[in-house]
Amino acid sequence: MNWFQQLFGRRKIYGDLSEEIRQHLVEKTDALVAKGMSRADAELTARREFGNVTGIEEQGREAWLVPFIDSLYADSKYAFRQLRKNFGFTLTAIVTLALGIGATTAIFSLVNTVLLQPLPFPAPERLVWMSQQDHSLPGVQPETLSYPDFFDWRASQHSFDGIAAYAGTTVTLVTQREPRHLDAAVVSSEFFRVLGTAPMIGRDLRPEDEKAGNRAVMLSYSLWQSAFGSAPDIASRTIRLGDQDYAVAGVMPKNFEFPINSPATTMWISVAHDAEGKDPKTGQRGFENLEVIGRLKSGATVEQAKADLSLIAANVARQNPDSNKWYTSALVEPELEHLTGDTRPALRILFGSVMLVLLMACANVAGLLLARGSRRGAEFALRASLGASRAVIVRQLLVESVALSFCGGIAGIVLAYGLLRGMVTLVPLDIPRMASTSIDGTVLAFVVLVSIITGLLFGVLPALRMSQQSRPGQLMREGSRTVAGGRGEHRIHNVLVVAQTAIGLVLLVGSGLLIRSFVHILNVNPGFDANHVLTARVDVSFNKLNHDQHVQFYNRLIERLAVMPGIESVSAGWPLPMSDSNASVSFSIEGRNTAKGDRPNESAGVVLPGYFKTMRIPLISGRAFGERDTTHAPPVMIVNQAFARKYFPHEDPLGKHIQVGLGDGVIDHPMREVVGIVGDIKRRGLTAADPEPQYYLPFSQALITNPYLTIRTTGDPSALRGSLRAAVEEIDKSVPIYQVSTLENYVSRSAAQPRFQTLLLSCFAAIALVLAAIGLYGLLSYMVAQRTLEIGLRMALGAKKADVLNMIVWRGLTLALIGLGAGLAISGMMTRVLSGMLYGVEPSDPMTFAGMTGVLLFVSLAASSIPAYRAAQLDPIETLREQ
Amino acid sequence: MPTVPSKKTDQRDLFRGALEMMILRSLQREPMHGYALVQHIQQRSKDLLQVEEGSLYPALQRLLKEGLLKAEWEISASNRKVRTYRVTPAGKKHLDREISSFERMLEAISLVLSPASNES
Repeated sequence: MNWFQQLFGRRKIYGDLSEEIRQHLVEKTDALVAKGMSRADAELTARREFGNVTGIEEQGREAWLVPFIDSLYADSKYAFRQLRKNFGFTLTAIVTLALGIGATTAIFSLVNTVLLQPLPFPAPERLVWMSQQDHSLPGVQPETLSYPDFFDWRASQHSFDGIAAYAGTTVTLVTQREPRHLDAAVVSSEFFRVLGTAPMIGRDLRPEDEKAGNRAVMLSYSLWQSAFGSAPDIASRTIRLGDQDYAVAGVMPKNFEFPINSPATTMWISVAHDAEGKDPKTGQRGFENLEVIGRLKSGATVEQAKADLSLIAANVARQNPDSNKWYTSALVEPELEHLTGDTRPALRILFGSVMLVLLMACANVAGLLLARGSRRGAEFALRASLGASRAVIVRQLLVESVALSFCGGIAGIVLAYGLLRGMVTLVPLDIPRMASTSIDGTVLAFVVLVSIITGLLFGVLPALRMSQQSRPGQLMREGSRTVAGGRGEHRIHNVLVVAQTAIGLVLLVGSGLLIRSFVHILNVNPGFDANHVLTARVDVSFNKLNHDQHVQFYNRLIERLAVMPGIESVSAGWPLPMSDSNASVSFSIEGRNTAKGDRPNESAGVVLPGYFKTMRIPLISGRAFGERDTTHAPPVMIVNQAFARKYFPHEDPLGKHIQVGLGDGVIDHPMREVVGIVGDIKRRGLTAADPEPQYYLPFSQALITNPYLTIRTTGDPSALRGSLRAAVEEIDKSVPIYQVSTLENYVSRSAAQPRFQTLLLSCFAAIALVLAAIGLYGLLSYMVAQRTLEIGLRMALGAKKADVLNMIVWRGLTLALIGLGAGLAISGMMTRVLSGMLYGVEPSDPMTFAGMTGVLLFVSLAASSIPAYRAAQLDPIETLREQ
Repeated sequence: MPTVPSKKTDQRDLFRGALEMMILRSLQREPMHGYALVQHIQQRSKDLLQVEEGSLYPALQRLLKEGLLKAEWEISASNRKVRTYRVTPAGKKHLDREISSFERMLEAISLVLSPASNES
């Protein structure tokens, strides 16, 4: 019989033992009666000779006990009985703990999913991200690679089993049904091998798929299902993307996802896609748009790889000074780190804050336990006199507190689940992997661990304290009320309350800073008016329509939209501010001699007439683009104020000539005249630093991509989606519309991360505030209850209600003030970690510090006045009589 | 109230394991139930060993737990419901080992206690 069966088969064993002993006594009695003894005497003698029946039975049972487990079991049973008996106390403690553990668990699941979980590929630790480094700018500036750069790196590197390049793109999938606009990626032939994942159906991409004419595509599982009905013969088909055919190489397994972003990539297209046409990207060293990943050789380190690639980059830079002069070294970091780099500090801070909340919850429950413990003094004294050692009492109290925190943990999981649901809907789309956050085994293990640690943490002080009371001599004394109560336990309780106030203030100040920073962000003037603007793109084929037809398509579309009801003005432009799209293009200013490799580059845009008016970007001087700026009219451009300041500090840029390194195949790099200056805008997002130089070209003279339609409406912009669809279909039914969204949406998304952080930290601060108030309230209520007799005496001796009120409130305020002092000092040191997340607010912002101190002081005052008021209402006569 | 079970042995007059040894030895000769076992030990020791009747039972439980004995409810010759103990093979091995080490110890003790003669 193993110990486990023994543990549960014991009821029978014990039954057998009792029965056996009973039979023994019967037999003995019978034997004695047979010898002539009377039955009564015989029974007595049998018992006497047998010994202490109960004691012997107990000793017999002890043979079967597993000492540690059994006493723990008994302790837990007792603990739960105690918790049930004090339901009010238990509920308060569990709710407090659930808040702490729940919040901690939610944030931990987030950290676990986003930062800790390895990437879902074989040997993920060997996957790295790499780029070249742009030394023309201060700091660490990664720069993507061009195809020729990548080909050079791939041919010369020694540190990797393979490296692969990819670039996001969009395609129009043409099937029998209506055309679909989809997110895709162009990938080099080793892409799937580097990620260590083979296609589920079909073949891998091959090196020859990089050559012009060999267009191949790998489908994602979900696209294979949704667009091709999971056709088993898919690998032998060709599909139509835009107006070209692609051979389907295969289908990737269900959960394969890379690059990891949303919306998910639906297909991976071979490099042949970029190797065709008149001036293919695969031959342009200046066209840098490739992200590169690699799988390190086993044993190779990131440092070795970096040295290896830097050598190659330096070589390439020497041989191609026109394009690569400044890209003299390489950057390499583990892919997981690269992916999560931006969110790491924010998540760390959130996790730290939530730990503080948990700590406060612990302090709170410790206070509750202390208050309750003093009422259980008699119980422990009784136990001690019955022979329980101090260790036994401490152990039992700790079992009680761990049982309590387990209940809190279970409630916390429920709470965490709800919090996560809420958080995922608030999610800024750019936190990778966040949407898949869930409560998994790791998280549950974390909850168990946190519950145990929490239980020990808040249990240990009260347990040690109470076990001191359990000296048998205390038995009589504790039964009656004393005037002062235990001094030591008051001291611990005070320290707990001070600590809670201090931690609470740290959290309040932190969230206050974030809130102020967020308000600043919301009040930032982006330089354009984002209200009432609907934006969308249409996928006009560059191959089907020629340059003029393409421009004409937009002119006709804008004409049609402009006369529709509810539309104030319409135009189009690229890049749309805060849409994450951008192109930095080099240029040279007439009359200034700069070597080709040293040419400045700034953010370039292409816009249709009416763009600045529709966006409400102010025209500072000169003119905006108009009807006359056609493809064959004199080439022109407009610059913004920051551009004018940087490149023409002492001159008027109007009338100056600039040659921009941007061609569309029809208009190639002409010298352009600056005809206007417009206001600066926040292109990257509300929190972007100084305004950056930008210049704009007319769409008709630089047809490089399909621009974003910008439709300023008189009412709700979303209501015009239907009008937009109708207008497009009137011109061409086969043109898909995509990225339909309001401009406001882009702006608010650019503030999504600060909003997320601010909201969460404010939640934690609110919980902290409540906990701090409850802690102080609990202590003072307990104190009043303990000192009822004293207060009654004081009043009988002439103290007024006001005196009593003052006494209690003053006690509360003293503790609060000490806590606030400590909290201010800690906040002063801690808020510096927030500086990277703050916008327009100093980490030491005195307004925030003062305001939050005021809030907490006020709450402390309120928390103190309730018990104080209750004390002042005591009737001295009745109080004394009761005692 | 929970307490740590004490490991104190209950037969202070006997050295450790002696009672167990006697039980195993007696049961090896003949399977018996508790009452009969007590009678047997007292008779065999000619009442020199005053074993408290009850103290047999904790010892029996320990031997059961270690798998040295097994027990079964039976009806005795005198038509009583009795729990009869038998020695298991493991119990037999254990007994042999205990007896040989006991004999060695007895020998050593008697050597020490015997009057010194042939040393000087």
